[in-house]
Amino acid sequence: MSNREPVQIASQSVRLFHQSLLKTLIYFFVLIMALAAAYKALPLVMDALFLLVIASILTAILNPLVDRLETSGIKRIWGALMVFGGIFTLLGTGIVRGIPTLLSEISRIKDMIQQQSATDSLNSMIDNINAKVSQFVPSFQLDTDTLSNLTSQFFGQLGSILAGALDTLATIVFILIITMFFLVDGARMMKSLIGMVPNRYFEMSLNISYKTKKQLTNFLRGQLLAALGVAIQSIIGLSLLNWVFDANISGVFLIGSIAGMANMIPFIGPFMGMAPAIVVSLFNNLGDPVAAANFYYIFHIIGMFFLVQMIDNNVISPIVVSGSMEMHPLTVILLILIGSQMGVLGMFLAVPAWGITKVIVSEVYQGLKGHHLI
Amino acid sequence: MSEKSKVSYPLFESFKDKLKPKHSQAQMTLSQVNIFGRLSWQELKIVEHAIHIRNYAPDEPIFKQGDPGSGMYIIIEGRVGIFLDIPQQKPKKLSELGEGDFFGEIALLDESPRTATATALESCTIIGFYRPDLMDILKIKPSVGGKIILSLSEVLATRLRTTNSELVKVSRQLEELTETDDDE
Repeated sequence: MSNREPVQIASQSVRLFHQSLLKTLIYFFVLIMALAAAYKALPLVMDALFLLVIASILTAILNPLVDRLETSGIKRIWGALMVFGGIFTLLGTGIVRGIPTLLSEISRIKDMIQQQSATDSLNSMIDNINAKVSQFVPSFQLDTDTLSNLTSQFFGQLGSILAGALDTLATIVFILIITMFFLVDGARMMKSLIGMVPNRYFEMSLNISYKTKKQLTNFLRGQLLAALGVAIQSIIGLSLLNWVFDANISGVFLIGSIAGMANMIPFIGPFMGMAPAIVVSLFNNLGDPVAAANFYYIFHIIGMFFLVQMIDNNVISPIVVSGSMEMHPLTVILLILIGSQMGVLGMFLAVPAWGITKVIVSEVYQGLKGHHLI
Repeated sequence: MSEKSKVSYPLFESFKDKLKPKHSQAQMTLSQVNIFGRLSWQELKIVEHAIHIRNYAPDEPIFKQGDPGSGMYIIIEGRVGIFLDIPQQKPKKLSELGEGDFFGEIALLDESPRTATATALESCTIIGFYRPDLMDILKIKPSVGGKIILSLSEVLATRLRTTNSELVKVSRQLEELTETDDDE
């Protein structure tokens, strides 16, 4: 190369420039066509895409477990089968034992709300609350209908979500099968996919995919661990309230699980987790003078959830949740508002989905900048 | 007797062939690189699953000076030139590498920018072994990853020792030159 004449080098440079220009134009055309095709085909492939996204998230969560089994000498396919055996056992136990109990618990509370909404004890409780709160907020006025409507709507929606989940059992099985393929063959699939990237962008793509995968795994694992931490603490806390104060809060496991899941939504999640506990405590203790004297244990419950949040925010979350996921409160509120357009599930998924998008965009940007492509 | 020894047993030969361990070209190339020298054939198979085999056209850059480093390259076929880009000058050719040679191995350890440009001088088939691949091996097969890191450290230690002795030589020459200047 060093022996070549300058004229030769110049003509070669022009040829290379024309080649790269043609290539860029072809890529641009293909990209436009692909985008147009994707826009047209999106509604058709939306369901499949949804399954793939959920399966990818599950893979990111389960992969470290399968990796660990592989490290200990178990073949990857057996490791994945073992993990799946565990999941199916848990799911099976949950479906056979847990779901009917949960559904009956929900319908019991729903019936109780509808039956007792006109009773004197509920009216007296509401009067009691109105009297105490109006000392601080004069305009505050809670009436029976509003309360019963709100609570029955909440439990009704919760029931429909669970019933919907049962209906889509086939979808869940399908997601698990895709996850199984991703767990066993995911690395090879990813390698083949990245292998298609042109040489010029290959190193960058490989780095971006590795870093994004790492960040996503950390993010999802952190979110799940934090949710699990809050759920366990809430279950222990509610059980302690039942044991020490005889708070009579039923469905402790359900409420604890809701609190754990709701914790994935920053700022608003803790209140969403607290609400079912307060409602259940109110309706379970109607007419009980001790409970009325203790303000139906509302302050105990608020105090307990406050303590759980303090432990989560100061001990668990800083250890398990990635720092790159910090969000402005306004962003969270906007995301929840947008997510609420797709129902309760949308509200739950909006913040984690934004977190995932943020990680991908940030890694792609850093990669492009590092390779001087932007 | 000689006729007897010429008798062949095709079935036996085919069994013997099947029993012989077969190694791919990538495995053979990897086994010649000292970074993978400590690995058994079985362990080389694990590395083979992690590597990427890439084809480059003549004059196509493999990586450019200043790009963030991601990993090392081992040449299976073809020739690669290593060039130093000097502003407003023709790139200076530092070396020319051929089959079995490797380059860019420091990038396995850190993401610092590439110090030179590597360009394919002819059609090349090259093995790319990148930091994410090494990290995956370290996570799933720590013993294999450990052997690679150890060999890589040995390569770097040898290189550091050579650089140190070169530095000592140069500084001695510099001292001698200074003394000569003083005498004059």
